[in-house]
Amino acid sequence: MNGEAILPYLIIIPLFGAFSMPIVNLLGRKAREAWAVLISGATLAVGSAIFYYIWDTKKILVYTLGARSPLGQGVGFPIRIVWEVDLFGAIMVLMVTLVSFLAVLYSLGYMKHDTGLDKYYTLIIILELGMLGIAITGDLFNFYVFLEIMSIASYALVAFRNDTWEGIEAGIKYMFVGSIASAFVLLGIALLYGQYGTLTMSYLALKLAQSPSVTAKVALALFIAGLLFKSGASPVHMWLADAHPAAPSSISAMLSGLVIKIGGIYALTRILFSIYGASVSVKTVGWVVIIFACITLIVGNAMAVIQNDMKRLLAYSSVGQIGYILLGLGIGLAAYGSQTGEIAMAGAIYHTFNHALMKALLFLIAGVVIHQLGTRDLNELSGLAKAMPKTTFAFLIGAAAIIGMPPLNGFASKWLIYESSAIFNPILGAIAIIGTAFCTAAYVKVLYTFFGRPSEKVMKAKDPEGTMLWPIIILVVAIIVMGLFPWQISDRVMIPAVKALENQLAYVSAVLGGA
Amino acid sequence: MREDMGLIVKTTARAIIPLIGIFGAYIVVHGHLTPGGGFQGGATIAGAGILFLVAFGLDEMKKHYNKSLYSVLEGVGGLAFLGAAMLGMGVAFFYNTLWHNGPFFNGEPGTLLSAGFLPIMNLAVGLKVFTGLVSALTAIALYRRWKS
Repeated sequence: MNGEAILPYLIIIPLFGAFSMPIVNLLGRKAREAWAVLISGATLAVGSAIFYYIWDTKKILVYTLGARSPLGQGVGFPIRIVWEVDLFGAIMVLMVTLVSFLAVLYSLGYMKHDTGLDKYYTLIIILELGMLGIAITGDLFNFYVFLEIMSIASYALVAFRNDTWEGIEAGIKYMFVGSIASAFVLLGIALLYGQYGTLTMSYLALKLAQSPSVTAKVALALFIAGLLFKSGASPVHMWLADAHPAAPSSISAMLSGLVIKIGGIYALTRILFSIYGASVSVKTVGWVVIIFACITLIVGNAMAVIQNDMKRLLAYSSVGQIGYILLGLGIGLAAYGSQTGEIAMAGAIYHTFNHALMKALLFLIAGVVIHQLGTRDLNELSGLAKAMPKTTFAFLIGAAAIIGMPPLNGFASKWLIYESSAIFNPILGAIAIIGTAFCTAAYVKVLYTFFGRPSEKVMKAKDPEGTMLWPIIILVVAIIVMGLFPWQISDRVMIPAVKALENQLAYVSAVLGGA
Repeated sequence: MREDMGLIVKTTARAIIPLIGIFGAYIVVHGHLTPGGGFQGGATIAGAGILFLVAFGLDEMKKHYNKSLYSVLEGVGGLAFLGAAMLGMGVAFFYNTLWHNGPFFNGEPGTLLSAGFLPIMNLAVGLKVFTGLVSALTAIALYRRWKS
């Protein structure tokens, strides 16, 4: 199998699916749903094939748009858009395609009573397309375009139920905040282009290392600011707590599981490691990230404890988990090149993947509860375990995984972060533990409600239909199976991913052809 | 309240709408030769559609506007762009095989039938922008009423 040959289909298939959706829609509801499932399923197949190829060969996949070589004729620098996927990008591709496929499958049952579903499926495929583009691109402006595709699709999807006041309110808030954040990123790109005259990430990394400038640092500050907005880090997480509860649950699962990680964490990591790795003091930048991570950890998890709204609780919990990922990223930078940094970064990548699975699971379950009972107020959900045993069991698994119970996947990733933070700086380790204490309190509260005495409202509820139950079952199985082989996954996938990420020279020379 | 405008406006619109349309089509078709291109031309043609909506009113627009036709055409525009980009898949995505190997659109640079797949892409983008903008503006004009 040839990775280069199939990489463009990661973009072509969702684009084709989204563009042909208005035409397929003429054939009716069944055709539209089958088409959406088919397209996201085919994308999942391509995504897993690419992940396997890159993991198997340990290569950095470079694809040039428009010609065979990225370099211009007679010049030694790249003039074309390149896509560059290393193992970290491939993990993100696998994560995005998997969760998107499950979200589309789940939507078949969950969105049945809504109108305007042709637009819904187009938007959900466009959202997936934008995230895949961010994960594979090696060009700074191409990255911005895909970031905007992703962001605009998610603004529209958050406000999809436009007959509810909260959908509109959250959509407007998200749109204003997100547009300002995107403008920061665009301004940063413009500054870098003005100073260095190139937009290719790897060539820019070379230029930056050769001639560092104040402009580059200003651009870096703008990138960090904009991307922290996108990832929902405190103190700029306020849009997230509104957007995630207001969106349809299949979309909350994608927003919380994927969008904040691809648009925030992945992009930040790529820019910090692959572009700026050699030209700024990673220690300083690492500590900046760590400070935000600590605030995010405490604020997100503490706010989760006091929520009465199930989805808002999950949204704040996402903020808290982003804090862990940022902590791993920050330590990975501050202890760049040492084993502590490597473990922290591996923990961050591993936790990104794990959290995508668990938070998608938890939001899908919240959607089931809303679908069956019409409420997400925890005060009214007492005794759900009697009426919906399968759903409650799945929630138990998801909550245990997110807290980090040993037989599940969340344990290993959190352990890597705890271990490295305790070695790096014991105070950070203590902060991470405090965050987990809050997180545990929040989820125990929910479980306590679920296992209580059944209330009037809950008695009539039943477990959901197949299309809504299967994605949940698949995610539960994935969480359990990944939990059985934590260190194998860590050693064979995550550590190599960090090694590839830290090897900036390989990232640069993959495009410049060793020339 | 009347939704259409006065006689002078309507008569002038009758005269001007075809001119705007032709000028927009000119911008789209000459996208690879002169300033402008798919987006600019498409937006210009959409301006003709919006002039129609404003001058003749919503009732007249409803008679001439077909929602599914416009969304299908928008999809077709996107598909044509994607198809043109995939023509040279043998070498790379977006490889301009029409320009390098023919059989058409590979004329002398500066003539209308040159620049490979660019004219096709300009037409596709123009179609997409025109149908998209007209659909968006009509949907906003149709939005229920002023009070709830």
